[in-house]
Amino acid sequence: MSQSPDNFDALQKLLALKRHEPPPPGYFNRFAGRVIAQLESEGGMQSPTWWQRWWEALNSPPVLALSYGAVIVGLVMLGTGLLQTLELEADPSLAASQPWLPRESLSMAAAATVVAEVPRPPAIDSAGPASSFSPVLGNSAPPFLFNPNGLTAQRVSYQPR
Amino acid sequence: MSTSVLEQPTAPPAPPVLTTLDDRALVRRAKSGDLAAYDELVRRYQERIYATLYHMTANHEDANDLAQEAFIKAYHSLRSFKGDSTFFTWLYRIAVNRAINFLKQRKHKTHLSLNDLDFNAEHDPDLVALISDKTPRREAGLAELQEKLNAAMLQLSETHRLVVALHDVQGLSHEEISRIMDCNVGTVRSRLFYARQQLQSLLSDYLKSA
Repeated sequence: MSQSPDNFDALQKLLALKRHEPPPPGYFNRFAGRVIAQLESEGGMQSPTWWQRWWEALNSPPVLALSYGAVIVGLVMLGTGLLQTLELEADPSLAASQPWLPRESLSMAAAATVVAEVPRPPAIDSAGPASSFSPVLGNSAPPFLFNPNGLTAQRVSYQPR
Repeated sequence: MSTSVLEQPTAPPAPPVLTTLDDRALVRRAKSGDLAAYDELVRRYQERIYATLYHMTANHEDANDLAQEAFIKAYHSLRSFKGDSTFFTWLYRIAVNRAINFLKQRKHKTHLSLNDLDFNAEHDPDLVALISDKTPRREAGLAELQEKLNAAMLQLSETHRLVVALHDVQGLSHEEISRIMDCNVGTVRSRLFYARQQLQSLLSDYLKSA
């Protein structure tokens, strides 16, 4: 009874016995008919839901998938362009620094400047500039933070005594 | 769960034109709802799918139910079949996964419902030689041997049993099995080796010394 663990010839011959176990006669003549009958009773191919169709479309041939990609990229670029236009409206000085922008954008920026120059309604307290006592109600606009008007840098000489 | 086999009418064979089409063409037609095309696909693979499931379950009724479920599931999943593998491999995967799930649930309820051996078994020289008068079980007939063999198969894990059924019984190559089981060829070889070792030990009384 001893047998080499790597020699499976006898076992393989024994396993061949399983090839001689057919189902009852005529079984395969009826099998396909039963499968199809069940599918017909279920209504055949179920129509896919919208997300299944979408998913299939994304997984369909590369040409279609690429066209989907192109549309998405186009939408992103359009959105970026619109965002830049809106930024120009808010700050027209950007137009000068970005001459490559279209004329429409520049004219919109100019319009935005005109709007910005419309005189403000008089302040309630026009007595003086904003101060710590009246920080909001001052008539004049607050000085620009990084380029204060009237301030010039002067060289200071220092001679020790 | 089981379906009566004898009560069902015999289905007419598929139209001749369909039998000449390859799997891809039939799958395309079936995807568009052509049940006749799918009928042809079922006829092409029913025997192999049934045999695999039968060798996995050692039970005709279970194999019949699982085979039907596999073909129905495959039809409903046809839209997701992209042709990355052959239809045959894809279908096998569905059937095998269903069988493994089923066997995990059936873990403690194993009963054999074996098909009768065909006439050729009695005249197979290899099998006749295996029932040797030198073995302690010399009185064992082929039917008993069949039962012992299937009982031994059921003691293997599902994956080991599957590899033996596909390779040693159905004659699929290691590469085909690796695609069906979605693992590499080395894993298939290793599983086959351990499964054979286990079977050899379980059936040592019936195996003649070389």
